[in-house]
Amino acid sequence: MSWPLYLAFKQLFPSGRRLPFFTLISVAGVALGVALMLMATSVMGGFGYQIKKMIIDTQGEVQVRGRGPIENRAAVEEALASVPAVAAWAPFASGVVMLQFENRPAFPAVLGYDLGRIRQVIPLERYLVAGSFDDLDDDSVILSSLLASSLGARPGDKVSLYSPLMLERLKQNEILLPRDVRVAGIFQIGHQQLDSSTVICSLRLMQDLYGLGKTVHGYNVRLRPGADEFAAAAALNRALPAAAVARTWFESNADFQAVLSFERNMIFFLLTFIVIVAAFSITSSLLVTVVRKTREIGLLGAMGGRAREVALCFCAQGFVIGVAGTIGGLAAGFTLLHYRDHLVHLIASLTMGQEVFVKFYQFNHLPAHTAPRDVVTIIVFTLLAATLAGLIPAWRAAKLKPVEALRSE
Amino acid sequence: MANDEANHSASKSADRSSGIRHSESVIPSSAAAVLRATGLRKRYPSGDQTLEVLRGVDLAVQAGESVSIRGESGSGKSTLLNILAGLDRPDGGELFWRTEAAHQLSLGALTARRGRFLGMVFQAYYLIPELDALANVLMAARVVGPVGAAARARAAALLRRVGLAARMAHLPAQLSGGERQRVAVARALMNFPAVILADEPTGNLDERTGDEVIALLLEVCAEEHAALVLVTHNPAHAKKTARQLTLQLGRMVESVRFGV
Repeated sequence: MSWPLYLAFKQLFPSGRRLPFFTLISVAGVALGVALMLMATSVMGGFGYQIKKMIIDTQGEVQVRGRGPIENRAAVEEALASVPAVAAWAPFASGVVMLQFENRPAFPAVLGYDLGRIRQVIPLERYLVAGSFDDLDDDSVILSSLLASSLGARPGDKVSLYSPLMLERLKQNEILLPRDVRVAGIFQIGHQQLDSSTVICSLRLMQDLYGLGKTVHGYNVRLRPGADEFAAAAALNRALPAAAVARTWFESNADFQAVLSFERNMIFFLLTFIVIVAAFSITSSLLVTVVRKTREIGLLGAMGGRAREVALCFCAQGFVIGVAGTIGGLAAGFTLLHYRDHLVHLIASLTMGQEVFVKFYQFNHLPAHTAPRDVVTIIVFTLLAATLAGLIPAWRAAKLKPVEALRSE
Repeated sequence: MANDEANHSASKSADRSSGIRHSESVIPSSAAAVLRATGLRKRYPSGDQTLEVLRGVDLAVQAGESVSIRGESGSGKSTLLNILAGLDRPDGGELFWRTEAAHQLSLGALTARRGRFLGMVFQAYYLIPELDALANVLMAARVVGPVGAAARARAAALLRRVGLAARMAHLPAQLSGGERQRVAVARALMNFPAVILADEPTGNLDERTGDEVIALLLEVCAEEHAALVLVTHNPAHAKKTARQLTLQLGRMVESVRFGV
């Protein structure tokens, strides 16, 4: 090890002595910044990851939608079969119904799936918390957890469905009776909006409720593992008839994704200032060290140390603080991320309350997803800031003439 | 430079006429000097005037020789030592490190050579507080190159030689003043220097400890065959060196030569 690095390390972590206060504070400052940046990017990344997973789990990587009900299903299904990236697909129809249980009404969104195909595309069983997917048929529905909870409905109960088609028929002096169906199960995805007011039923039931005949509103498409969703959507759009269009999960939620990405970048940007402030504190402390060690700097010159080596010694101190702070910060950040739900529940219980938190943030636990690219960005940025922080003190130290430094009081 | 030399000769003549013994014995006749200075001049601006600290100093030190330089405060002893060490540049005159014209080298080039050519001992020790005694001595070797087992062995041997065998792992804060100065002496000798420049090394020590340090310095320099230039206020310490010089009004005005 060259002497500037050796001395830098010894001055920060002297053997046989307590860790200097300057080292402790500087490393802690950097570590705090790193930990916060890591947590912020991980939590924001977690939101994005969770939303992506939830969207894909509920609609597939790609969704084909008609500009109205798709009548020429054969043409669409031929197009779907022609794209190699497509692993499975299932038709769906969607809308809104009025649901009544023991005089308690609700207006949930309703999704009708082809029960023979949907399991290949959407892992609905994964989200079932009561009942069984196998019990779902043309005379039954699965309710979202909060909807079931608000209505007090449980598997086996009978609920009534009223569709907009009844109003249409009423205009023609025809009366359609509500459809009584059984609750086959209850699902919980973990997203407030979906869990609060959604009904899943068979495609045939949905077609009956809306008078769709054999038409559908679209197709949920599952791609083969590793397939690029944008390329697959482009290939589908080339093959699909003009009445249908394929969109990736990202495009379907582009506005939301853009907001999420903006928030994530903004939070990261704001948190970089913690590291920058820590870097200024390193600069300030190292400048004091240069003044305090002026005669030692003179001594090093007297022993044959070159000015650039003296400068390297102080730059290296900034770098070593950066390395120690980054390691400490990453360790603290990952530990806090591991216990994030405990912390959030504690904070929520002390402030807004758990229910308000879930309602406001849509999730019943704090998601986190740490992208390796984000970790690399944090490490590079922190090491750069800490090393640059040592530059001004290094320059001051290098400027000192040994003869004047030795003479200083 | 020619002007400086002319002035230097003129000032010598003036000194002779005024009765000051400004002797050629300051420059030994032997050409084997490891450190040689002729006509060194140094001026500093002082308000509107210029203060001439060194007015043509001649000095030659042979290998293994011990020389003391005394003088009143402000007589230019430390300035001379800094110039001899290549830490400062003279305004005139010549300086040779062995046969190399040090006065013609840049400060950077002097720095590169200094670590191996000479060692310095200071009044305030200047040990690095974060390093133990052994590491402080080794630091002199680190500054000039990679440190191996041989360097570690030499550093330990030097510390044993200066009586600090049991104090190698002690930090400077755990050592007495005399012990710190012994570490500084060992550090100055670490790179087998040709010359040791000691700037009032007993200034911070009590009389007894100071005597011990000077005795040790003379002994180890003799053993290592390193020349010693000792700047001191203490006449008793000066008398222990082979030659005693006095710097007065910027000139070497006295020299008494004992056997080397």
